[in-house]
Amino acid sequence: MAATRADLESTPRRQPLRSLNDLPDEIIQHILYFVPPLDIILSIQRTSQRLHNLSSQPLLWRYHCRVQFKYWDPKHRIRQKLLGGVGDVDWQALYAHRAKVDLETTRILDSTLERQVDRIQKFELIADFGYDAKDTLLQHCHTDEEAEDVLARRYYANAILDHVHRTKALAEWEKILRGEEIPIERALGSFDLFVLHDQPGDLLEISDLLDDIVTRLCLEIPGIVQLCARKKAIAVVKFLRAHNLTGIASEIAYRDLQNNYIGIALQDQGHPSLPLISVAIFCAVAQRLGLDAKCCGIPNHVHAMVCPRNNESLDGGHSTDDNNAEPMYLDPYRSDAEVPVWNLQVMLAAWGIQEVDQPLFLNESSTAGLIVRTSRNILATVHEFRGQAANTDDNHHPTVRLHANPYADLDNAFYSALWANFLFATQPRSEVRSQRHFIPLILEKFEHLYPMDASLIEQYICPLFNNPSVAEHWELHEALRVVRAADQTPKQVTPRDTLAARAIKYKVGQVFRHRRYNYMAVITGWDVECGMGTDWCAHNHVDLLSRGRNQSFFHALVDDTSIRYVAEENIEIVEPEVPIPLMSLAGRFFKRWDQENHVFISNIRDEYPDD
Amino acid sequence: MSSADDQTITLVSNDNVSIPVALKVAERSMLIKNMLEDIGESAMESPIPIPNVRKRASPKEVIEWCEHHKDDPATAADDDSDSRKKTTDIEEWDQKFMQVDQEMLFEIILASNYLDIKPLLDVGCKTVANMIKGKSPEEIRKTFNITNDFTPEEEEQIRRENEWAEDR
Repeated sequence: MAATRADLESTPRRQPLRSLNDLPDEIIQHILYFVPPLDIILSIQRTSQRLHNLSSQPLLWRYHCRVQFKYWDPKHRIRQKLLGGVGDVDWQALYAHRAKVDLETTRILDSTLERQVDRIQKFELIADFGYDAKDTLLQHCHTDEEAEDVLARRYYANAILDHVHRTKALAEWEKILRGEEIPIERALGSFDLFVLHDQPGDLLEISDLLDDIVTRLCLEIPGIVQLCARKKAIAVVKFLRAHNLTGIASEIAYRDLQNNYIGIALQDQGHPSLPLISVAIFCAVAQRLGLDAKCCGIPNHVHAMVCPRNNESLDGGHSTDDNNAEPMYLDPYRSDAEVPVWNLQVMLAAWGIQEVDQPLFLNESSTAGLIVRTSRNILATVHEFRGQAANTDDNHHPTVRLHANPYADLDNAFYSALWANFLFATQPRSEVRSQRHFIPLILEKFEHLYPMDASLIEQYICPLFNNPSVAEHWELHEALRVVRAADQTPKQVTPRDTLAARAIKYKVGQVFRHRRYNYMAVITGWDVECGMGTDWCAHNHVDLLSRGRNQSFFHALVDDTSIRYVAEENIEIVEPEVPIPLMSLAGRFFKRWDQENHVFISNIRDEYPDD
Repeated sequence: MSSADDQTITLVSNDNVSIPVALKVAERSMLIKNMLEDIGESAMESPIPIPNVRKRASPKEVIEWCEHHKDDPATAADDDSDSRKKTTDIEEWDQKFMQVDQEMLFEIILASNYLDIKPLLDVGCKTVANMIKGKSPEEIRKTFNITNDFTPEEEEQIRRENEWAEDR
């Protein structure tokens, strides 16, 4: 805003400054950048014609759209809009749309926290905003420590955000089912979305990270674009390995859950990744540099392959004879060098694969096949981890170091693998059992952990079992009905208005250790005596307890995310400073941790009004 | 020649008052800094006219501000101000400095704009923005002496368009 020649000559000056109206347009516009947008909409624009005009400029609203919102639903094509002419978009309308979504999302979340009823429907209202709700949900995920309902707010904001991410992941996989070609990093990045929570690393961010790698690579190897395909591929693999962007530090860590996620591999300090993920990173980078790079589905150890482009050999120049049309193979997980094809043939032969069948394995793997392979890697880790749960050795693997509570993330990872297997079960060569096999498993997770995914089950599973003559049709129907009905029914009120209820020793919110199993848990409800059926009692040896069924029983949320039912005699109340393993889970039932009294403050008073 | 730190130049306001100012202080103004670079060191001995700055607002106030901020790191000449969030914070000294009547506030804003002292312009504009925050249209008109020139129909139309924001 430097003075121009004309300014310098325009002395002496005008009237004294009595009104904001005496300031030139450019200054008023500058002031408006510092006024909160809602003040502009509610006040400034209603003040006078001139202020209305000056505060309706697209530049001002593009600025607010840009700095206030980071995540946009893909329908807006925001990146194209930002690159285009500022006048081509009604930025104030776009801002108004986002501000409305923001207000609505907060309003709906507030009401979700108030009562345990109609939560599925409320979640769906927010999920309908798609990625436009993400910025607001993130704010609630990072609610201030001092807030009265901090744990509940963070928990449910995360739960809705997780659902929004899963919706996105399944939509991406559905594109593959419809036959669309999608980049490998998006197909595999969809697994990241199941465990992402409030962290960076969504599909767009993964793509940006890969773009950054390519930029760095081009700076470090300025001549890369001129190289022939073979040298270029070797340069890429050397660069990735020199910067530790592929492979894992130690084979002991092979089954660690985090090795399965391309977003984690790109962002984590140690960049851990399984061969499949290493190959995917290589392919995504090589493709950005113009190479025809693909994942090659060799059993046990995925390799990368680079194919010559039309009429050109990998070594440059025209290819006339067939030999030159052969692809090259690479193993970015553990080697800088090209892998000779005979090496792979020897390996395949050693596994008993006939020579005639070998070309099948030395070829490109379908994206669906890679998704199923990743899901099987995830399942292998989940099983191994659960099998070793009793082992408390510090060095033991596999570890689960994703973004949140390891048990919760194990559930999320398992759930993603179930969905992947279900969706791609009918794909050729996917080697998975029939789709039906996964339905009860998905429904079990849905009922206990992801009731808000009712819409996803209706969208992706139900249409495949439309025929009322198949058992799955009724199984799905019933599961959805039960979960929705339970969500729509107000909780039965359980006051302490009887002698027996008043005599119950412990209250909702108290933390305890199980006398026998030693886990830490928090009480989420109670019965004056055991409320379970005979089968359950027999299975859990209730009659062997010293006081049997005739004692109070408690519902409890355990630090491994499970919900259990515990007899009073097995409870040993503890009063930790902060029960750290429970903090990210307790928001499901509690508002906050009361540091003075060492109990969680209930958010389920609609069910237990006196606790 | 003396070192840059204590070198002094002379500015002349439009009412012919000569004001000696340390070079470092005067150079907070990008206008003067560029001017000095253009005319070269030899001309620094002669007085430099700044005709568009009025006696009442500054240069006294503006120079006072530049004195206080002479050691601030220089602002990037061309920061991409449109994609980064502008802070609305004002440091304490500046808040006190800006406790002046409205006419003086506007004068300081105009002078800093003319002299191209971006940080001072920002402080001035933020001060005005803070006076706008949370006020109704009528209160804004009153505070800043603005006439309502909408027809009732126009007023009603804008009210309807922006209604959604009211239940925040």
